[in-house]
Amino acid sequence: MSKLRIAVLIGIWAASLWPAEGDLTRGRELYEKRCGGCHGLDNAKVGPPLRSVFGHRSASDPSFPYSDGLKKAGLVWDEATLDRWLTDPEALVSENDMGFRLSRADERSAIIAYLKQLPVKQGQR
Amino acid sequence: MKNRKDLASDDGIDRRGFLKCMQWAGTGVIWSMSAGVPVSQMLAADTHKKADFTFVQISDSHIGFNKPANPDVTGTLQAAIEKINGLDKQPDFVIHTGDLTHLAKASEFDTLDQTLKSLRQRQIFYVPGEHDVTGDDAQLYLERFGKGTTGLGWQSFNHKGTHFVGLNNVVQLEGLGKIGQEQLEWLRKDLVRLSASTPIVIFAHIPLWTVYPQWGWGTEDSAQALALLKRFGSVTVLNGHIHQVLQKVEGNVTFHSAMSTAFPQPAPGSAPSAGPMKVPAERLKQVLGVTQVNSLAGARQLALVDSPLEGAPTAGEMMEGR
Repeated sequence: MSKLRIAVLIGIWAASLWPAEGDLTRGRELYEKRCGGCHGLDNAKVGPPLRSVFGHRSASDPSFPYSDGLKKAGLVWDEATLDRWLTDPEALVSENDMGFRLSRADERSAIIAYLKQLPVKQGQR
Repeated sequence: MKNRKDLASDDGIDRRGFLKCMQWAGTGVIWSMSAGVPVSQMLAADTHKKADFTFVQISDSHIGFNKPANPDVTGTLQAAIEKINGLDKQPDFVIHTGDLTHLAKASEFDTLDQTLKSLRQRQIFYVPGEHDVTGDDAQLYLERFGKGTTGLGWQSFNHKGTHFVGLNNVVQLEGLGKIGQEQLEWLRKDLVRLSASTPIVIFAHIPLWTVYPQWGWGTEDSAQALALLKRFGSVTVLNGHIHQVLQKVEGNVTFHSAMSTAFPQPAPGSAPSAGPMKVPAERLKQVLGVTQVNSLAGARQLALVDSPLEGAPTAGEMMEGR
């Protein structure tokens, strides 16, 4: 296999890992519709800000008053944990303050993909 | 309350007679117009006896919520119902300004429906809150409580000369509430046939005035709705969502938010988050309640009385006008 062909294949594989623009647009729209009432990206509302939630430990924003259950949960928010959380928060952490659940798997994955690619501002966790 | 500057409205309507922030807790106040300036009077306890008609607003019952801020929201809704059933003069109807349920589960809608069956007045008009529509774009809510409404639950009706409009500003959330162009166009057509002297009551879940945008307490496109209402002499806008009594008068419009029947939330900007506020158990029924609305002959504004589920009404804070 030529080096050029290998490079093209690597490029295709890498691109497949990154959500398409259309998927991210849908993820942003779903985030606003499903999550935006209670969460800001950079400010707390009823829930904590979510810009840097992906990849970080649960209950790690020191300025937000999390439930005791979530403080003790010791989770890291990745695709799997966020998917379980959005599906049924109480099944993952019995004592929590999340007043929401999302039954549609395609919507959960679009929102998680959107959260994952958000640029974290300097100085944030 | 902090960040008072942030409370300034951006709805673009007449600033004459603007009272920046009127907050009352558990009391009644009547607004009348004098040379374009709203004048307030404390309500006598028997105001409802002089009223042409009366209706009651309940809000944010959050059936299904079971956290420490109130582990028995069905019980406190029942207490609200008993308060309404105990009124000397029964309301002509009841409005529920949204967040009927906490998670929009069928079982929660069932419980709400069953509980409200004990109201003596059975005519109830609903608008949804964001908790009623999350996850399914209001499908279940509309099936259960949206019968006879248009679009995603908007509606209007006339009662004894007053025109009532229920809006849904929770389906297109973009940080703030949003009414959306389709509903705004429906509203324009709904209002166009009315004379400017018709008293108007708008009810919606999220405030149509900018209470505290950092917490999403406002409606992005409310200015467009308020522009359609500018020509009317008397407009009253009732909402829930923020679980506390807050009132503002701006020109011809009185904005009023009601207490929840489930749990209180902090004053705008006064806490790290807008989440449910736990108060000592013996105080809970003092910060939950209902709003009684009286239409009085000769008055240009409706008289609003906020009554906690328990305890004597007390006057709250009134900020000076400008």
